[in-house]
Amino acid sequence: MHRVQENITVEDLKKGSELLFKRVYEDNRNHFINFAKKYHLSQEDTIDVYQDAYIIFYNNVMQGKVEEFTSSITTYLFSIGKYLIFDKMKKNKKTINPDFDLSLIREKEELEDMNLDLDQEALTTEQVLLKKHFATLGKKCQELLTLFYYRGFTIKDIIETSEYTSENVVKSAKSRCMKTLKERINSN
Amino acid sequence: MNNQELLYHYFSNSLTPEQESVFKKLLETDAEFKAEFEFEKGLQKAIKSHETDRLKAMLNEVETKINKRHNTVFNYRNLAIAASIAILFGWFGYNTFFSTNYSSLYEDNFTEYPNTVYTITRSDDANSIEREAFVAYETKNYQTAIEKFEALSADETKDYLNFYKAQAYLGMDNIQEAKGLFQQVVAKNESFVAEATWYLALIAIKEKDKSLAVSYLEHLMANYSYNKDKAQALLKELN
Repeated sequence: MHRVQENITVEDLKKGSELLFKRVYEDNRNHFINFAKKYHLSQEDTIDVYQDAYIIFYNNVMQGKVEEFTSSITTYLFSIGKYLIFDKMKKNKKTINPDFDLSLIREKEELEDMNLDLDQEALTTEQVLLKKHFATLGKKCQELLTLFYYRGFTIKDIIETSEYTSENVVKSAKSRCMKTLKERINSN
Repeated sequence: MNNQELLYHYFSNSLTPEQESVFKKLLETDAEFKAEFEFEKGLQKAIKSHETDRLKAMLNEVETKINKRHNTVFNYRNLAIAASIAILFGWFGYNTFFSTNYSSLYEDNFTEYPNTVYTITRSDDANSIEREAFVAYETKNYQTAIEKFEALSADETKDYLNFYKAQAYLGMDNIQEAKGLFQQVVAKNESFVAEATWYLALIAIKEKDKSLAVSYLEHLMANYSYNKDKAQALLKELN
C-alpha cells in the first residue's frame, strides 16, 4: 500500500483519475481512523470527518492550490482532519481542555500556511440556484465550465486537454453555455 | 484586453500585476463588470459544490465496498476459529461449552412493540379497518391483524403500517416475512426506523448471523438513541 502511495504525485492526482482518487482515499483510511481514535468520535463521525478532509484536500489539488507536496499526503489529511474535528467539537460545545481554542487557532494558521482553502461556507440562495441550473446543462457545457471555474484552466490548457481545436471555438462554446445558464436562471 | 479576457485570466489565476490593477479599478467603477464578476464567482462556488457532491458519492461507494469486504473477512476468520476449536474439543464439546446461545439471547431481548399509533377507545365507534387491525394486534390475533393491515396498505400516508405488520408476523414466528418488511421500513426511511433496526438485529441473532447482528446494533447505537443500553449489552454478549 505505502509503496503505491509514495509514487503518486500531485500531477498524477490532478489528471482526475477516479481510480487514483479512490485509491489514495483507501490507502490513508486506516491510518486516519487510528489517528482520530484519541478524539473519541464514533466510527461514523470519524469516517465523515475523513471524507470531508479528503475532499477538501482533493479540491485544493484540483484547483491548483497544492503545487508540490511540501508535506506527505498523510500530513495534509491529518492537519485538515484535526481542524475539522476541533471545529466539530467546538460546534458541539465539547471543549476538551482549557487551551482548546488556542490549539484551534494554531491548526487553522498551519493550514493557511499551507495555502489551503478550507471553504466551508454554505451556498447563498443565488448559488443554490446556480448549482441547480448548472446540473441541468448538457454534459459538454458542464465539463467546459468545470474546467474554467473549478480547475482554473486557461483557454490554452483547455485546448491541450480536450477536443476543442482553437481559442475561438472554446470562447464561443463557453459563451453559449453561459447564455443558456443565464436564461434558465432568469426563467426560474 | 477586453473585460471578458480579464475575467478569463482572473479565474485561471493568471492576471499579471498590471492586469490586476486594471481589474481592481474596474470592480470599483464599472457596475456591469462587477455584476458579471459576482455571477461568475458564484458559479465557481456552485460548481465546486457540485463537484464535492460527486466526490462524496464516490467515497460512499468505496465505504460500502470496504464494509462488505470487512464482513466477509470477519466471517471467514470466525469460521476458521470455530473450525479449529471444533477440531480441538470435538463437535459435542464445542457446541456445549462455547457456542453463543442465540435463541435464549433472542428470547431475552424480544418484546412485542406496543401499539403507540392508534388509540382504541370505547367512544370510537367508527369501525374502521385500521381500528380492527389494531384491536386484533393488541389481542394477539396476528393473522387477522395482518389481513387488515394488508387491506390498509394501499394508503400511503400511514407509513407505520409495514412496521406493525412486521410485528404481527414476528408474533406468528414468521421471521422471513417480518424481516422483509423491517428491511423495507429501513430502506424507505419510514416511521420506526430505529425500532426496525433493533428488530432486524434480533432476527439476525435468531438466525445466528452474528456479524449481521453486530452491524445492525452498531448502526443503531451510532445513529439513534432507541434501546441504546440494550444494544450495548447485547453487543457485549455477542463478542
